[in-house]
Amino acid sequence: MNSGYTGKFLYVNLSSGESRELTVPQWFKNAFVGGKGFGLKLLYDLVPPKCDPLGAENILMFMTGPLTGTLAPSMRACVVTKSPLTGTLLDSYFGGSFGHEIKYCGYDGLIITGKAAAPVYLWIDDGHLEIRPARNLWGKDTLETNHLIKENLKDDSIKVASIGPAGEKLVYFALVSCEYNRQAGRGGAGAVMGSKNLKAVALRGRQPVKVRHQKEFLAAVELAYHDLKNSPDIRNLMQTGTASSVPFANENGVLPRRNYFDGTFDNNLEISDFGQNRDMWLRNEACTGCPVHCSKVGYIRSGRYRGTVSDIVEYESAAMLGSNLEIGNTKAVIHLAHLCDLLGLDSMSTGGVIGFAMEAAEKKSLPEMKASGYEIKFGNIQAAEALIKAIAHREGTLGNLLADGVHRAAVKIGSPNEQIAVHIKGLETPAWGPRGAPGIALSLMTADRGGCHQRGMPLGEELGGLPWKGHTVDRLAVKGKAEIVIHHQNYLAALDTFVKCDFGTFGISPRTYVKLYRTCTGHDLEMEDEAWLQNLGAKIWNLGRLYNLREGLEPAQDTLPHRFRQPLPSGPCKGHRFTRNDIDSMREEYYYLRGWTKDGIPTEELLHALHLARGKTFSI
Amino acid sequence: MRKVICTNFDLCTGCAICQLICSEMRSGGTNPRLALLKIANQGLVHRPVVCAQCQNAFCLKVCPNEAIYRNKHNGAVIIDQEKCNGCGLCAEACPIDMILLDKQKNTARKCDLCGGEPLCVKYCPTGALELVVIPGGENNE
Repeated sequence: MNSGYTGKFLYVNLSSGESRELTVPQWFKNAFVGGKGFGLKLLYDLVPPKCDPLGAENILMFMTGPLTGTLAPSMRACVVTKSPLTGTLLDSYFGGSFGHEIKYCGYDGLIITGKAAAPVYLWIDDGHLEIRPARNLWGKDTLETNHLIKENLKDDSIKVASIGPAGEKLVYFALVSCEYNRQAGRGGAGAVMGSKNLKAVALRGRQPVKVRHQKEFLAAVELAYHDLKNSPDIRNLMQTGTASSVPFANENGVLPRRNYFDGTFDNNLEISDFGQNRDMWLRNEACTGCPVHCSKVGYIRSGRYRGTVSDIVEYESAAMLGSNLEIGNTKAVIHLAHLCDLLGLDSMSTGGVIGFAMEAAEKKSLPEMKASGYEIKFGNIQAAEALIKAIAHREGTLGNLLADGVHRAAVKIGSPNEQIAVHIKGLETPAWGPRGAPGIALSLMTADRGGCHQRGMPLGEELGGLPWKGHTVDRLAVKGKAEIVIHHQNYLAALDTFVKCDFGTFGISPRTYVKLYRTCTGHDLEMEDEAWLQNLGAKIWNLGRLYNLREGLEPAQDTLPHRFRQPLPSGPCKGHRFTRNDIDSMREEYYYLRGWTKDGIPTEELLHALHLARGKTFSI
Repeated sequence: MRKVICTNFDLCTGCAICQLICSEMRSGGTNPRLALLKIANQGLVHRPVVCAQCQNAFCLKVCPNEAIYRNKHNGAVIIDQEKCNGCGLCAEACPIDMILLDKQKNTARKCDLCGGEPLCVKYCPTGALELVVIPGGENNE
C-alpha cells in the first residue's frame, strides 16, 4: 500500500562486505515515523552501549522521513550516529537532493556499519549495491570527489555524499557534504564516515515515491505553499537567506565577537546579506522540492579570492568565521567558509575552535603562537586560513590539538583555558551568545546533541516580540522559559521525523504539517494534531535522553560554559550574565516540567505514558 | 495557435518542483527521473530543458506506427499510447532527449502540455517556466 515510505532499509557491513535489505515494520513506522525517530531508535537498539564512536561497531545512518522525496515542500534527510565530539547522540540534517535520492533508490534509510579494509565508496544504482575502491578519491576535497565519481560513472545526475580530508583524518567536527554542497555539518558525522574508510556514497534511483491519498495530499501541498507565501519570515529568507540575521543578532547583542567575549560587531553589515549580495550573489538556489530558495549562488569577481564560486554564507558560518574571529572582510569570510566546505569541516565548530585558539594565543597559553608564519590573533585572516588547513589535515601540534574540538584542546593545554572553551557537552556552541536571552540559554543547555541552535531556541518569543499563550514574554526573566523551550523542542523533534527543514517551520503551520503526514501515509491519528505532535516529540526527546544517559551523560553537563557566566562588556545586553543560581533554577524548572527526576532522569511513569518502557526492539 | 513552454534559466533555482509534479501526475509518483522535462546543470546555472513541441518534429516523422500526432488546438506533439509499441525510434531521433521510454509498459512518453495547461508551469515558484501562446500559423506536417 502506498504511504510515502518505501518500506525498506539498506544495511551494509563494510567489514564483511555483507549487505541486505531490511523490512521496515509497521509498528516501527507508526511509533517512530522517520528521520530522527528512526535514527534514535536504531541507535539505541543497534549500537553497542559505550562503543567507540570511531570504532567499527558504531553505525552511520542516512535516514529519510515519509515526506522526503514527495512534493511536500522543504523536506530534508539526516545523518544519525554516535558523535565523536560529544560521545552522545548525533542527528545532523542536510538539504539538497541526496535525501530524496535515497527514496528514489527504494530505501527509507541506509544503515552502514563496520570498517572497510581500504578506502571505498558505495554505489547504489536503484536496488543494486556495489562497494567500489576509492583509493583515487582519498585525499580529494568534498566537491572534487563529487565530480570525480560522476565522471567515473559517466552520469552527472548521480547524487553524492562525500567527506573531505578532514573526515579522512578523523577531525572530530568533520562533516558529510551532500549533493550539492549541503552539509550534514555538526558533531563529526564526517569523522565517523572516515573511520569506516568510507569516502562517499553515490546514488541513482528511478523509483517513484507514492503517497496514499494523492488528491488530498496535493491539496495539503497547496496549503503548505500558501502558508509559506504568506509568511513574512519566509519572504525574508527568499530575499536574503539567513545572512540578514547578522544585523538582527547584532542589534540584540547576541552576535559573538572575539570568542563570544562580546555581543556586537561594528562590521556586522559586511558579513551579512548586505556585503555578500554586493560581492558575490548572482542568483537563488533551492533544495529539491522547496519553493523558498534561501540559498544564493555567485562568485567573487575581484581581489585575492577572485573566481571563488560559492553558496551563501549562512548566518551561523558568517558569525562564527566572521564576527567571532573579528574578521569583517566579506570576501575573506566567504573564502574561509568555502574552504571549510571543501576540506569537509563544520564551519561553526571551526569558527569556535579558531576563536578559542586566538584568545588562548592572546593569553600566551597556546603551544604555538603562529600558524604557517602568521601570528594567531583576532582579525588575522591568513592565520585563520592556515589554521583551517592545519586542522583539516591534522598537521603539526596546533592542527592536531584543535582537530579534537575546543573541549579536548582546552583540557589538553590545561587550566585556565577551560574557561575560554565555549562548548556545551563538547559541541562548540552556535552563533547565539545567550547573555540577555535566558530562554535561548536554556535551549542550548538542554539540547540533545550538545550546544545546538536547532533545538527549540525561543528566538521569536524572546527577541522577536511573539506572544506566548497570548502574553508578551519578559525577555530577561529566568523563570517561565522552560515551558516555551520544551514546547519548541518537542515540536521540532516531531517534525524532524518527517524530515522537515527548520526554515519551512517559519511558514508551514502545525495543522498543515499533520495534513501532509496523514494524507501521505494514511496513518490515522487518535489525537488532535498539535497534541499528537507534542506527544511524538516528547517520545523522541526522551528516547534521546535515555540514549545519552546510557552513554554516560551527566546531568551536570546541562549547563552553560564559563564565558556566559561573565558579564557582557558592551552593547544592548551590557552587564548581563548567568549566575550559578540562574542556571540551576532554569535546569530545575526544565527537569520538573519534562517529568524528569532532580537528576535529569525520565521517570518510569513518563516512559510508560510515552510507550517507551518495555517497547519493541529493532534487530538485524 | 501554438502553445510552447518558454524556459528562463536565470530564474531557475533547481528546486525540481516542475519535475516532481510532472512525475506525480504522469508517472504515478514523484521522482525527477520519471518527469517529462529535465534540468541541466551548466556552470553557475540550472537550465530547464522542455519539449519544444517542434514544428518540424523528428519524433513524429520517424514513428513507424503513426502513433505520434499533433494536437490541432495547441500544437502539442502527442504520443498515442494505444498505437505506441515502445520501439524507441522517436527517443533516438529527438535531438534534445525529451522522450522517456517506459520499460514496464513498453511505451514511449513525452510532454503533451497537460492538455494545454502544463502543471510544471503552474507549479514553478519563480517564473522560470512560462507558457507562451503563439497566434496563427499552420503546422508543417
